[in-house]
Amino acid sequence: MNVLNELQLDALGEIFNIGVGRAANSLSLIVSDEVLLSAPSVMVVSRDDAAKILLGTDLQQFSTVTQHFSGPFDADAMLVFPEANALEIVRLMVGPHMSIDDLAQYEQEAMCEIGNIILNACMSSLADLLRISFDSTLPLHCFGSTESLPILDGEAERLVLLLQVDMVISQQHIQGHILFLLSVASLSSLLACLDDYLRAQGLA
Amino acid sequence: MNAPELAGDTLYAVIDSLEAGVVLLDGERRILHWNRWLERRSGLASREVAGRRLEDVLPVIAGSRLDQAVSHAIRDRLPSLLSPALHGTLLPLYQTPDDRRRERRLQQLTHVIAPLRAGAVACMIQISDVTANISRERQLRQQTDSLRRSWTQDALTGLANRRAFDEALDREFAQARQSEQSIGLLIADLDHFTDYNARYGREQGDAALRRIAATLTDGWVDAGDLIARHGGQAFAVLLPGAGRADVCRLASQLRDRIARLGISFAGSPLADHLTVSIGTTAMHPTTEADTHTLRSSADVALFQAKHDGRDRAVFFSAADGSFQPCC
Repeated sequence: MNVLNELQLDALGEIFNIGVGRAANSLSLIVSDEVLLSAPSVMVVSRDDAAKILLGTDLQQFSTVTQHFSGPFDADAMLVFPEANALEIVRLMVGPHMSIDDLAQYEQEAMCEIGNIILNACMSSLADLLRISFDSTLPLHCFGSTESLPILDGEAERLVLLLQVDMVISQQHIQGHILFLLSVASLSSLLACLDDYLRAQGLA
Repeated sequence: MNAPELAGDTLYAVIDSLEAGVVLLDGERRILHWNRWLERRSGLASREVAGRRLEDVLPVIAGSRLDQAVSHAIRDRLPSLLSPALHGTLLPLYQTPDDRRRERRLQQLTHVIAPLRAGAVACMIQISDVTANISRERQLRQQTDSLRRSWTQDALTGLANRRAFDEALDREFAQARQSEQSIGLLIADLDHFTDYNARYGREQGDAALRRIAATLTDGWVDAGDLIARHGGQAFAVLLPGAGRADVCRLASQLRDRIARLGISFAGSPLADHLTVSIGTTAMHPTTEADTHTLRSSADVALFQAKHDGRDRAVFFSAADGSFQPCC
């Protein structure tokens, strides 16, 4: 599916990379260690294809953090990590002094916070550069398999803006995804905002 | 019909009676309201902090994630959650004066919210005390762990108990059948142990059992093998992959090791120390065979070892019904 032209995709990639860069700074501050985050690819896909891409990763149990953003366009934003990766992130964030068993009791809220930092950073970067603003719900953390991901529920024609996220923390590379579920109308509002931005930059 | 509007002072009274800390800030981060819950836990009265900037009242937040979260709420209207795992004791809040003296802060779960169109209020910080939840969770986890252990572990020796052994036997037997591998079983029964207990007392009997358990687990068999206390004075060793020659060699080694412990037994008709009789078997599980065949073969071998005069190891083959001494 190719709803966005190359210029729009590039712009979104840049905006989200600024966002995840800010999130990395916030996370580094918490762990007093360098955390690196990058979003090397952005694409718009159907929900079926998004599910296939997530299934393509070897694990099917996921840890997800969701927030609903509303403003000039509405989006359900979701950070998705394979469950084992999520536990690894929390372990690296909380520090090595805690056993995996102890961690499990903290995992939900800690992961919720980490997701909150990353999703807020992406949306505020979007808001800053496109000069718009959003309201948002508080983050919600869930475990689930690919079959039960909310991505497969609801309106059939919703599209997914899918970002791969690469995280480096204490020399460990951990991969996950950020999904923005958008209605067709919301996607065209996003594209309108994006075109305004590109025009203001003298690029379109 | 529209719901009647609540007057401002009624709202503040409601906020004051909440069982959570609430701070309301204006767009310049000045404190508009500091509720009663916070007064009690921070030791700072509302009138002392009203109108002051948050970071002047709580210098500890400078550069912290809470600091950023407040900026996010005021500037971007985005809400944040601060988890107890990462920031549990960020703010100097205490349940009791005693906790304050001991610098024992309560565990905090903090939400920072940009309120929906609420006049001068640009940011609301809500703090919940999750100390009890965290300690309850920790306690429950410890109890679960100890229950899980007692469910599968023999309290005296720390070895797997009969229940854990039965489960492992079912699992390993099915695995051996599937992979067409041999599986061995060894049952060791201490000779005249009832007499030993009668002569030396229960306490010394228990100590002997613990020493034997320790010698069973000091690397004598592979990590994949399961060693269990199988009854009062019997031990069982499940040996996946082991054939006749392996189980016989191990049985003979085990008999030597227990003899070498030299646990004195003056009343024994066999030796001057505690001895053991061992029954052992090995088989390739066929589709018809079940765990009962393996178990009863080891029992038959043990019975034969006792019948032949104890202090020995005997192998029994279910395939041809033959006995063989292990030496």
